[in-house]
Amino acid sequence: MRILRLTAAIAVLSFFVVQLNPGARAAGPVTEVLIGELLPLTGNFASLGQQYLWAGQTVEDIVNNDYPDLKVPLGPGKGFPGLGGAKMTLVVRDDQSRGDQARTLAEQLITVNKVHWLNGEGTSGNTSIIQPLVDSYGIPMACHACASPTLTEKGFKWFYRTGPNDSTMVASVFQFLREWPSHGGPKDLKTIALFTCDNLFCQDNRKIAADLAEKGGYKIVADLTTKTGATTLASEVQRLQSVNPDVLFFVQYPAETTVFQADAKRANFMPKVIATSNGAYSDQTWLTAQKTTAGGAGWLGRDPTAIDLASKKPAWKQVNEIYKKYSRGQDMGELAMREVTGLLWMADTINRAKSVEPAALAKAANETNMTPDVMIIDYKGIKFDKNRQNELATGVVTQIGWDDEKHTIWPWDLATQAGFKPIFPSPSWQERESRSKK
Amino acid sequence: MTLFLQALADGLQMGLLYALVAVGLAIIWGLMEMINFAHGEFMMLGMFGAWGLSVWLGWDPLVSMVPIAVLMYGGGVLVYRLLMRRVQRGEVFTQIFATVGLFFFIQNGVVAVFTSDYRFVEKSFLTGLSGANITLGGLRIGIPLLVGGLIALALFLILYLLIDRTDFGLAMQATAEDRDAAMLVGIRPQRMYAVAWGLGTALVAIAGVILANFFSVYPQAGLSFTVLAYAIVALGGFGSILGTLLAALVVGVVQSVTAAYLPPAFKDAFVFGSYILIGLFRPQGLFGRF
Amino acid sequence: MALLFPIPFERSGQIYYETVGFLVLLNAMLGIGWNIIGGWAGQFDFGPSIFFAIGAYTAALLSIHLGWNAWLALVGAVVVSVALCAALTYPVTRLRGHYFAIATVAMWMIAQPIGATWQLINGSQGLFIPVAAGGTFVHGLLTLEFPGRGKGLGFYYLSLLLFSATLLGARAIERSKLGFYFRAVRDDQDGAEAIGIDSRLYKVIARCLMAAIFAAGGTLYGFWALAVFPDQVLEVNWNILPMMAAVVGGLGRLWGPVLGAIILIPISQLMTATLGAGPLAGRGIDLIIYGAVIMLIAGWRPNGLLSLPWAEWAARLRGRPAARPAKG
Repeated sequence: MRILRLTAAIAVLSFFVVQLNPGARAAGPVTEVLIGELLPLTGNFASLGQQYLWAGQTVEDIVNNDYPDLKVPLGPGKGFPGLGGAKMTLVVRDDQSRGDQARTLAEQLITVNKVHWLNGEGTSGNTSIIQPLVDSYGIPMACHACASPTLTEKGFKWFYRTGPNDSTMVASVFQFLREWPSHGGPKDLKTIALFTCDNLFCQDNRKIAADLAEKGGYKIVADLTTKTGATTLASEVQRLQSVNPDVLFFVQYPAETTVFQADAKRANFMPKVIATSNGAYSDQTWLTAQKTTAGGAGWLGRDPTAIDLASKKPAWKQVNEIYKKYSRGQDMGELAMREVTGLLWMADTINRAKSVEPAALAKAANETNMTPDVMIIDYKGIKFDKNRQNELATGVVTQIGWDDEKHTIWPWDLATQAGFKPIFPSPSWQERESRSKK
Repeated sequence: MTLFLQALADGLQMGLLYALVAVGLAIIWGLMEMINFAHGEFMMLGMFGAWGLSVWLGWDPLVSMVPIAVLMYGGGVLVYRLLMRRVQRGEVFTQIFATVGLFFFIQNGVVAVFTSDYRFVEKSFLTGLSGANITLGGLRIGIPLLVGGLIALALFLILYLLIDRTDFGLAMQATAEDRDAAMLVGIRPQRMYAVAWGLGTALVAIAGVILANFFSVYPQAGLSFTVLAYAIVALGGFGSILGTLLAALVVGVVQSVTAAYLPPAFKDAFVFGSYILIGLFRPQGLFGRF
Repeated sequence: MALLFPIPFERSGQIYYETVGFLVLLNAMLGIGWNIIGGWAGQFDFGPSIFFAIGAYTAALLSIHLGWNAWLALVGAVVVSVALCAALTYPVTRLRGHYFAIATVAMWMIAQPIGATWQLINGSQGLFIPVAAGGTFVHGLLTLEFPGRGKGLGFYYLSLLLFSATLLGARAIERSKLGFYFRAVRDDQDGAEAIGIDSRLYKVIARCLMAAIFAAGGTLYGFWALAVFPDQVLEVNWNILPMMAAVVGGLGRLWGPVLGAIILIPISQLMTATLGAGPLAGRGIDLIIYGAVIMLIAGWRPNGLLSLPWAEWAARLRGRPAARPAKG
């Protein structure tokens, strides 16, 4: 009886052993570069995950097909010239937005599928879960749009990031606020309230903001952390209202942001400035939804790229057309832009390394010195500091205008190019109602 | 003081919305004691139904509430007949297992068809009223939420009358208390359970339709409300419809008031803490029968 | 009873399968733990992950701040977990049935914001467990720290070790007076009390045995993941997967959770790898099928798969008439 069960157990396990045995990595010249994509395609972060996926598919398309006029790395020509035309193949896995699943699948991708490079996970929290694992196996990994500073500050040797991290980006927001008075802005912003969600990303932001707020001489009048999945924020709005902050530093995901907006509207609460850091502000779906209600006008936030300027580049337009093939027509948002840029950098690195051996890849990566003219995003370039963080990606500050688009308002030289006068104070709910397109 | 009173008012309003979500569960689980992990998913289906009909046919959710409820009633009966009836033959725990499977199945089915993007019901009677308030003695009461709350109360009243005052309702209670005895007096338990599932599903789908006016519609939307719904039904006491209503109000108020004075991240924790506290003194909930 | 040593898989570099094995064994172990309170004592516990988390965090803290060896930390984790369990559970045993179940959910819901904001455990930023570089495989077994390649194999054996220990312990309990008391409480609580069994005490004991097992599991997990994050260890899957494994296999049967884990986990991994990837990725198709499979099993065999007449089938296969098997 027991023996039967034992046999059954072994049989089941052996089945997997035998059946799921993809061929070992072929010796000899590489014909296929395997790029692991570990993403949250279902679960809480699915709306992020799908944008990463589309970005990956876009870059796979660009690398493998010939786009002679496209001025990005590996646009013209098919495949990797440095590897004899080898093609790029994505190996995609869905971790359901779960950390333990991410870890297991990362191990699968590395040891079973034998990917040469791992992109993932897509959110800072889950990425930090897989970092120790990938580091122990020693292949390059990246999450270009993960903004938590700790990812590059814990000493992991194989993690690269071409996108800016939150230390830099939140600092931009505060720098903007500091320099604003001398560029025609308000001179009397003294109090600040922090309103953040409770996960790794939000809390990292909160710590940075709290620190910078103190250094900037602001008085922190409220510091509220909420649990994700809130069904109502009415009391929290009340509390914020009662302390009447000049600036609200707001870091929440789209669902909670919508709840906040509804409750704030009911309470008629609107601080003079709403400054955000990613979260809803970077989510295409939320941005689109604001169009009918003018709910986003006046919100400002840090942005990895001056999207209004970048989208004028021909390369951006071309890449966007390719992206829309996979995204069912959705334009590239800044998240997708960061990821596309990072993946193109990866392709360029693999090409320069002329090999898929980890050591060669690392060397090529560390030597990167990419110039802005071949990028669709407006970093000043790609060059890594000792933590493998791109030090030339600083991000900008943008604001949503009455046209429901984001406009660059800082740095000042780019702002002048963009030609947009910042909205101040943040419009009241009545004004939004009257100017909405319902 | 105004902070407290406003929080109280807000809490009562939210409590009514929670009651709306919990009332369906009060029948399936509270009365018939069948565990349903997928309760929130039916609510989410109601939300998607409202959104879909609003976008494709231009129907206001208050209108589409009716056809959706009817459809979901059928869905609930179907779930019972196809799945839960078989599961009942086994351990009680298997119900958890089966409904977990249902949960995965429904949620990801919606993801497959609609993806996980957030959607919004943009044009409806209630969203048109958003921001409209009435002011009672210095307190703001939002009109859309008030309407939602009134609908919840109406449903509760109907349900209470159905369960406690009609023969049919008594038959359902009898089946829940003692299935064999019920059979002896000619009640067909299978039918009772099927109706319970149908009703419960329809009610929570109605909740979803109403909530779609206020909240984003996406496949994972069910979760935050569902957990509270469970606490509410248990707090109110099994077998008591009115208990569920009262418990919902308590939950709404506790949540709202604690968020006004204590760290907001803990507001649900306080709700559950209250449940344990009350449970220590009243192990069968506020009005529980068994 | 023959002690089983499942044949280890010497994967040439395909360490992933060892990890799957590790997860199966870990969940089987947790499932056995849950079975004690759920299957034997008959109380629904929907929030066992709090003990998993307590175990993981305690062990991590002891290891990081006090430099304790991992095995000592495991003991410490178990002790803390059992103590907390006893303190928390005793008052709540006044509640019966579904009410008790919601109380366990309540504890889990309360644990979440604590985990996310408590600075001692670094809140949502997580605790990282440092691994000393170098060191041999044996050293790894002793300290639960494996640098590099030996990790998958090492943890597989470790989980096997803990699993076996749990299984033996559970078997001993099942046949002991304790097991008898548990089942008495489950089947007829009032009757049990009438003959002098303190149902509250035994409910606490059952739950705390589970807490001990979950804490050990949590510790192992923490050292495997090298980081403890609140939303990872308090995740809903640590609540439902052990429970599901127990129910699928057959509630209350000793080997139930083992069978359940062996079936559920490879299926979900397989689905994710095949259906959750490629062109169908992101559509959740793998989870749809997973859900459907679960519903099918539940509907077809509501008493768990162990209730199938294995012995009879085996006998028929061997050509013998379906005789009553000797209890092995």
